[in-house]
Amino acid sequence: MDGIDIIKDKCVGCKACFVACPYGAIEFVEKKAVITDKCTLCGACKESCRFSAIVSEMDYRQGSDLSRYEGMWVFAEQRYGKLKPVSLELLGKARELAARLNAKVTSVLFGYNIGFLARDLIAYGADQVLMMDEEWLGDFNDRIYGELITNLVKEHKPEIVLVGATSKGRSLAPYISSSLKTGLTADCTGLSIDDEGLLVQTRPAFGGNLMAEIVCPHNRPQMATVRPKVFKPLEPDYEKRGIITRIQKEPIEGLVKLIRNIDNAEGQSLTDAEIIVSVGRGIGSAANIRLAGELADALGGVLASSRPLVDMGWMPYSRQVGQTGKTVAPRIYIACGISGAIQHLAGLADIDTIIAINQDPEAPIFKVANYGIVADVKEFLPLLTEKIKQAKKA
Amino acid sequence: MKIIVCIKQVPGTNEVKTDPVTNTIIRENIPAILNPFDAYAIEEAVRIKERRGAFIYGISMGIPAAREVLREALALGIDKGILMTDRKFAGADTLATAYTLSKGIERIGDFDLIICGRQATDGDTAQVGPSLARTLNITCATDISRIIEIKNKEMHCLKITDDGYEEILVKLPALITVVKEINMPRLPSIKGMKLARRAEIDIVRFDDIKADENRTGLKGSPTRVRKVFVPVHQVETSMIEGTLEEKAQKLSELLLSMGMEVK
Amino acid sequence: MDGDFKQVYGEYLRDESRQVGWAESIAFPRTEAEIISNLKEMSRKKIPVTSQGARTGLAASAVPYGGYIINLSKMNKVTGARYDEKEDRFFLTLQPGVLLSDLRKYIANKSFDVTGWDIESLHALKFMEKGKWFYSTDPTESSASMGGIASCNASGARSYKYGSARDHITGLRVVLADGDVLALKRGKCLASGDEFSLITEKGREIKGRLPKYKMPDVRKNTSGYYNKPGMDMIDLFIGSDGTLGIISEIEIELSKTSPVNWGITIFMPDEDKALDLVRALRREIKVAGIDLNLNPSAVEFFSHKALKLLRERQKTSAFSNIQELKDTYHTAIYVEIECSLDDEAWKEVEKLGDVINALGGDEGETWLAYNSVNLEKLHDFRHACPECVNLQIDIIKKSNPGITKLGTDMSVPDDKLKDVMIMYNEGIEENKLDGVIFGHIGNNHLHVNIIPRNMDEYEKGKDLFLLWAEKVAAMGGAVSAEHGVGKLKVPFLKKMYSEEEINEMRRLKKIFDPAQILNRGTIFEYVEGQ
Repeated sequence: MDGIDIIKDKCVGCKACFVACPYGAIEFVEKKAVITDKCTLCGACKESCRFSAIVSEMDYRQGSDLSRYEGMWVFAEQRYGKLKPVSLELLGKARELAARLNAKVTSVLFGYNIGFLARDLIAYGADQVLMMDEEWLGDFNDRIYGELITNLVKEHKPEIVLVGATSKGRSLAPYISSSLKTGLTADCTGLSIDDEGLLVQTRPAFGGNLMAEIVCPHNRPQMATVRPKVFKPLEPDYEKRGIITRIQKEPIEGLVKLIRNIDNAEGQSLTDAEIIVSVGRGIGSAANIRLAGELADALGGVLASSRPLVDMGWMPYSRQVGQTGKTVAPRIYIACGISGAIQHLAGLADIDTIIAINQDPEAPIFKVANYGIVADVKEFLPLLTEKIKQAKKA
Repeated sequence: MKIIVCIKQVPGTNEVKTDPVTNTIIRENIPAILNPFDAYAIEEAVRIKERRGAFIYGISMGIPAAREVLREALALGIDKGILMTDRKFAGADTLATAYTLSKGIERIGDFDLIICGRQATDGDTAQVGPSLARTLNITCATDISRIIEIKNKEMHCLKITDDGYEEILVKLPALITVVKEINMPRLPSIKGMKLARRAEIDIVRFDDIKADENRTGLKGSPTRVRKVFVPVHQVETSMIEGTLEEKAQKLSELLLSMGMEVK
Repeated sequence: MDGDFKQVYGEYLRDESRQVGWAESIAFPRTEAEIISNLKEMSRKKIPVTSQGARTGLAASAVPYGGYIINLSKMNKVTGARYDEKEDRFFLTLQPGVLLSDLRKYIANKSFDVTGWDIESLHALKFMEKGKWFYSTDPTESSASMGGIASCNASGARSYKYGSARDHITGLRVVLADGDVLALKRGKCLASGDEFSLITEKGREIKGRLPKYKMPDVRKNTSGYYNKPGMDMIDLFIGSDGTLGIISEIEIELSKTSPVNWGITIFMPDEDKALDLVRALRREIKVAGIDLNLNPSAVEFFSHKALKLLRERQKTSAFSNIQELKDTYHTAIYVEIECSLDDEAWKEVEKLGDVINALGGDEGETWLAYNSVNLEKLHDFRHACPECVNLQIDIIKKSNPGITKLGTDMSVPDDKLKDVMIMYNEGIEENKLDGVIFGHIGNNHLHVNIIPRNMDEYEKGKDLFLLWAEKVAAMGGAVSAEHGVGKLKVPFLKKMYSEEEINEMRRLKKIFDPAQILNRGTIFEYVEGQ
C-alpha cells in the first residue's frame, strides 16, 4: 500500500488501529492488520499504534529554499470603512507567534478611503501595513484581492499568512493558496509554533470527536483561516510605531460583479451577546424551541442553535454555533439538549460559565460544562423560566 | 448547456463516539453516503436541466466504492458519472484534490458551469470549490443561495454572506458552491434507480489523465495531518441534583447570583 | 381535592388525551413489593386506584377520576435477559416503567445497567450480538412506557409484519387488587375450551368461564378483553387497560434485524388506484401478471387532503426539511421493506415499479430510500402528517379553546378496505367537515382526523365517530385498533358489543377485581356492585 504500511512482525493484532480508522479501512487477516483500499492515507491508525507497527512513507520532496521566507502576514478585512474584529484577533495571535519566530507582523489592507484604518492595525499588533487604497478596490472581490495578494506574497515571501474565516476570507484564502500551490488549513481552533519553527494548525477533524494537528512542512507560505472569536485581540496601543506603505498597481478585472448588497437588519448578534441560550436536538421539535426562547428573554439573552436544528430547517443558519457556524464568547452559555459534539464545542471560545442541560448523563457536553443538570429540557426549561420570572418579581 | 457537478462520498455519521478507556474513536459499521451538500448541487443541476435543458456530468475522486454515490446521482437525474480512482490520488489534501479534479474536468472538455456543494462533512474545509476554480482559471462564486437567471455569458445569483446577501453577476464559465438554502434535494425514484443501475460509470485512472504525479495524492499535498487525538477537557463539572423542581430552583438562584440584569 | 396536590402533582392528572381528572394521593412504587403493599391498603380501604405508566395514552386510561394513583415511572429498569440458544431467540425482562425510547437505545447500543442481574441474565447478555436484535412493537409515541404498551396492546406501523404488543410478550407478572400476584408465562396457562384456571403465587386458584363474544377478525385490535376459546390466559391481561391488575414485570421477545431496510413513498394519481396498490402489495390481487413478493414490514397511507395540508405547511420553516410535494401528487402509499440481500430488494422494487405503472401510476413519482440517511427523511415525512394536524389544531384552539383533535382508531378486515374508505370520505363530505386520513392501511387501520373549525363542527365530528363505530363494528372491525378503549371510547365499545357481551367483560373483571377498585370507568362504565 503506497503511503502507509503495516510491519507484520510488529503487529500484535490489538485492533487499536481498527478502532481509530474513521473510514473502516482496516481488516484482520490471520490476526494481523491489513489496510484495504478504503484507506485515504489520513494517518489516524499510525497515531493509534503503540507497537510502532504502522509506518508511512511520506515523500520528502525538496521544496524551494524555505529559509528565504519570513514574516507573519494577516489579511485585514474591512467593509466600507469598518474593520472586521477577526482581523484584529488574528493580529494579536500573529504577534504571539511572531515572537517565537523572531519575525515581523505585516497586515495587508485593501479598500477605498480606508487609509485611516492602518493606524488601528498597528495599534492592534502590526509592525507594518501594506495598503492599497483605490476606488476599484472599494468592494471586496476574491479574484482581484486574491491576485494582488498573491503577487505581493511572491514579492515579499512571508512565511505565514493568516486570513479570518469569514465568508469572504473563505473564498479569498483558497484563491491565494491555490495560486501559490501551497497548503491551507481552514477553521483552525489553535495555532502554535513547534520546535522546528513550523506552524502547527489544530482543528476538529474526521467529522467526529477528534482533533487534528496539521502542518505544511515543504511549501510556503503556510496558510490558515481562523473563525471569529477563537482568539482574543490585544489591548490596542496607539503609541506603538509602525510602517505604513501605500502600494499602487494596475487595476485588475474581476469576473463577478456586485449588483447590490442586501444587508441583514441590525439585531443583537450572537457574537456580542453576554448570555446565550442554545438549543440542540434534545428540544425535540420545532415547536418546543420557543421554550428556550422564553428562557433567553427572561435572562435578557440571545437564542442560538447547534447544527442539527439548522440542518432540519428549525433555526436559521445565522444562529448556528459551532465549527461551521459562529464562534461565541458570552459570559454565560446555557446548552439545552445539546450533546456536545466536538464541532459544536469548537464554537465555544473562552466562556466564563457553561451550563449544560441534557437528558443523557453521558453526554460529552458535561465534560466541558461548569454546571450540569440531567433533565429533559422540554420539562425543565419552562420550570426554570418560571422560577427566574418569579425571582425577578420578588 | 454543459454542467459538471463535483460529488464526494463521505462517512455516514457525525456521531463518532470515543472510548473513554482507550481514548480512541469507536467506529462502527457506518455506511458511506453522498456528501449532503452535494445533494443540493445535484438537485440544482437537475433543476436547471428541467428548466432549460442541459447535459450533466457528475465527477468524483474517491475509492472504487464511491461509484455508489455516482449511481445515486444518476438516479437523481445527472447524465453521466465519472469516477476518478487510483492509488496515486489517495491521501490528497484540498490542493491535490482540486488539481486532480481539474484534470478530470479537462478531459471532459468545454463546460458552462461547475456546481459544488459548499463543503464535505468529513473535512468541512469548503476549500476544494474555490481551489478548483482557481486551478481551472475560471470565475468562482461561493455560498450561492439562489440562481436567479442564467443568461448567455453570465449568471445572475444570490449569494449568502456574513452580513446578509449579495446580488451578483457571475461570468460564465464559472464554478459555484451552493448552500442548503438553495433548494430541497429530491430522493431518487424507482424509475431513476432503474436507469442508474443499468448505466455505466466511467472509471478514470491516473494514466488516463495527463497529470503530474507530484501534484496528485499524498505527494501533491502540501498539508499533512501530523497527529490525530482525542481532546482532553479539564473542567470541574458540578452537577446540580434534586427533583426537577429543585434543580430549576437551584439553577435559577445560581443564574441570578451571577448578576443577571433584569430586563 | 387538596389544592396542594394539584399544584405539585398536576401533571399526573392528565395524559395525552388532554382529559383532566382528580385524585387524592399518588404513589411511585420502586418494587413489586411496594405495589403489593399499596394495593393491599387501597383494597382494605376500598379506595379506587388508577395505574399510570408514562401517560402518553390517548384514551384517558391513565386519567384518575378520584382515589389514588399508582405511577410506575420509577420502576424503569431492564432486570434480566434470556437466550434460547437452540432456537436463537432472545428475551428481556423489564419493569413496566421502562420507556420504549430508552429500551430501543439499550438494545441498539447493547448498553444495559446490569446491577442486580442474575448470572443467567449476564450469561445471556454475552450472547447478544449487537445490532442483531430489535424490539418490533413501534407505536409512534416512543416515550410510552412498556407497561402502558402491554396494557393497551399497542402497535405501530410495523404491525403489518410484526403484529402488536401481545405477539412479543412472553411473560407477565400482574399484581391483583388484593395484593396477590399472578406469574404468567406464555404457553403455560391455556384455557381449556372456555374454562380457565390460574394459580396465584399465594396458591389461590382463580377460575372462571370465558365470555362468549367473538373478537373481530382483524390484525390490530385493542377493543375490550381478548377472548378466544382455548386462549393463552396471558393474553387476557395484555390489552386489559389496567382493569384486571397492575403489571409489575414484563418479558418481551426481540426480533432479528435485517441488513436491508428500505422505504419507498409512492404517489398515485387517485385514491382508488392507491387502494389497488395496497391490495397488490398484500398479494390480494395480481397486477399485469406480476407476482409481487415484496413482503413489506409496513404499508402506510396519506390521503389527498393530508398531502394538501402538508403542502401548505411546507411553506413554513417547521417542515422545510420535507421533500417537495409536487402538485401532481394526489395520494401517497408508504412501504417499508426488510430483507437480507440488496439484490433481492432491487428485484422486488423493480417489479413494484412495473406494478405502479400498470395500475396507472408513474414509477417516476416515487421516493426511494435505500440508506439510513434517506430513510430518516421518509420517516420525517411520515411524522410530519400528524404533526401538521396538531399544528392546525393549536391554531384553532387559540380562538376555540374547547376544541381538541378528533381522530379515529378503527380497523376492519381486509375485504372491507374500499368500503370503509368510502364510508369515511362520504361522512366527511356530507357533514362538510375538514378531515385528513392517514395511517396503517396495510392492516386497514386508518386514523381519520377531523380538524374542527368551531364547536359545532367539533360536536358533529364526535357524532360522526360514534356512527362510524357502529358501522365498523357491523363490518366486523375493531373500534379501537391500537389506542385502547380507555375511558374515551367506552361509547364506541358499546357499538361493537351488546349490553350482554359487555356485562360478560364486567363479570370477568369481577373475578380478578371483586371490589372494582382498579381503573374504574375504563373499558366500561363503573356500575356499583355489578
